Amino acid sequence: MQTEKIYTLSAVTGSIRKTLSERYGSPFWVKAEMNKLNYYSHSGHCYPELVEKDGLRVIAQMKSTFWQADYQRVNKKFLEILKEPIKDGIKILFQARMTFDPVHGLSLHILDIDPSYTLGDLELEKKETIERLKKEGLFELNKRLSLPLLPQRIAIISVETSKGFADFLQVLESNESGYRFFHMLFPALLQGEKAIDSINHQLNTIRKLIGHFDVVCIIRGGGGDVGLSCYNNYELAKTVASFPIPVLTGIGHATNETVTEMVSHLNGITPTRIAEDLIRQFHLFAKPVENARQYIAQQAKVLVADEGNRLRNEVRLFKNSTENLVSKNGQLLRTEKSNIGTHVQYYFQKSKQRIQLFSTDTQKASNSYLKSVHQEVKYVMNVLQKDSKTSIEKNLQGILRLESEVNMLSPAQVLKRGYSITLFNGKSLKDVEELSQGDVVRTILANGEISSEVVSLKQES
Amino acid sequence: MKDNPNYTEAFEELQSIVRDIEQGEITVDELSEKVKRAAMLIKICKQKLTTTEEDVSRILKEIEGMEGA
Repeated sequence: MQTEKIYTLSAVTGSIRKTLSERYGSPFWVKAEMNKLNYYSHSGHCYPELVEKDGLRVIAQMKSTFWQADYQRVNKKFLEILKEPIKDGIKILFQARMTFDPVHGLSLHILDIDPSYTLGDLELEKKETIERLKKEGLFELNKRLSLPLLPQRIAIISVETSKGFADFLQVLESNESGYRFFHMLFPALLQGEKAIDSINHQLNTIRKLIGHFDVVCIIRGGGGDVGLSCYNNYELAKTVASFPIPVLTGIGHATNETVTEMVSHLNGITPTRIAEDLIRQFHLFAKPVENARQYIAQQAKVLVADEGNRLRNEVRLFKNSTENLVSKNGQLLRTEKSNIGTHVQYYFQKSKQRIQLFSTDTQKASNSYLKSVHQEVKYVMNVLQKDSKTSIEKNLQGILRLESEVNMLSPAQVLKRGYSITLFNGKSLKDVEELSQGDVVRTILANGEISSEVVSLKQES
Repeated sequence: MKDNPNYTEAFEELQSIVRDIEQGEITVDELSEKVKRAAMLIKICKQKLTTTEEDVSRILKEIEGMEGA
């Protein structure tokens, strides 16, 4: 039935082992992602889980062994060069030998790891975090916040027993100016992969209590400068960058600034520096207040003194000018007084003279006038006496002549000389037209009357 | 002009008094009142620097309240 050769299991494993050891005789270099380090503290050995991914899909996976001595040596190199221990989730370039164990199967025996490859990978992660934050517009957000005038209420993310925390509080609380800070500790892990979640968690707690705090300080101190690549993690850096109040970092003397420190409001590097910066901020507030106090006190004195001087000057000026005015007016008054005396005397004299002159003139004039009137009257009286006799005689003769002339003109005399008057209807007739044929007219003569009837009429043209 | 300004307000008012004096806008009549006010503001500012009203236990209670909710 069974014609083919039958092997024991160990013969198979032995054969595989032999084949593999012939085929993979010498060690070779492999690059892979170390998903898990699987460090066993009691033995000191590691059993890293190695994978290769295409995106998120695992396309190769292998177990490996990393013996205590090799692990210790390589880890030391990592700490020197990367400032990071060998840890989960890093990409490694390692030298390995293929091994096959009849019980445990196929695995890679890691002999050495090249730290510079991992370093490059970590740098790449850091670069990617920075680029992503910049692209999303988050990188500068926390920096753009302004520190409150008095950053007095401080949320501290730290480890209670750490030296950094103690240093920080010591500087804050022993300040010489007596500034008082309120601080509250939010304990968290501050290095290694677990720090990401731990710090993020505490930042979220603080975010809920945001009304109580002015700033957040992430304080690390003591311990070596290792395990800080967590601060390059995108999630952590993003939380810090977009935190609503300023985040100050005092993580330590890292050679390279981490992304979290870059995006923080202020990276003081050491806890002491952060505390000093906060105190300086208080000084910035206190100094102008003190300056204002001195300035106001001094200026108030100056102002009062100036005002006093001005008042004294005004009084002096006022006194001087009134004195001047009084003496000037007194002088003027005296001059006027003497002037008026002279003027009045002069005026009176002048007036007196004028009156005297006037009175003699008047006397003279009236005397001569009276004299001339007297002479005139005398003359007229002479003339009248002389002329009146001849004049009366002359006038008498004239009157007699006139009388005879008047007599000559009386109607009776005219009638005597042959003239007559014709009357019609009792009125003297002067116009032929008043008459018609047959009218009876009366004619008066010197010694009687005639009545006659009109026979004919003839009008002279 | 608040009777109980916070430190920012107190500080700013103090600065404005200093400015007024610098620019000669304060007369002797106002001086006494302004100096009195400035002294009060300085006192408030200094008090703010050296005292704090926050209380850890109160904040802790708040956190408990949040976690309970």
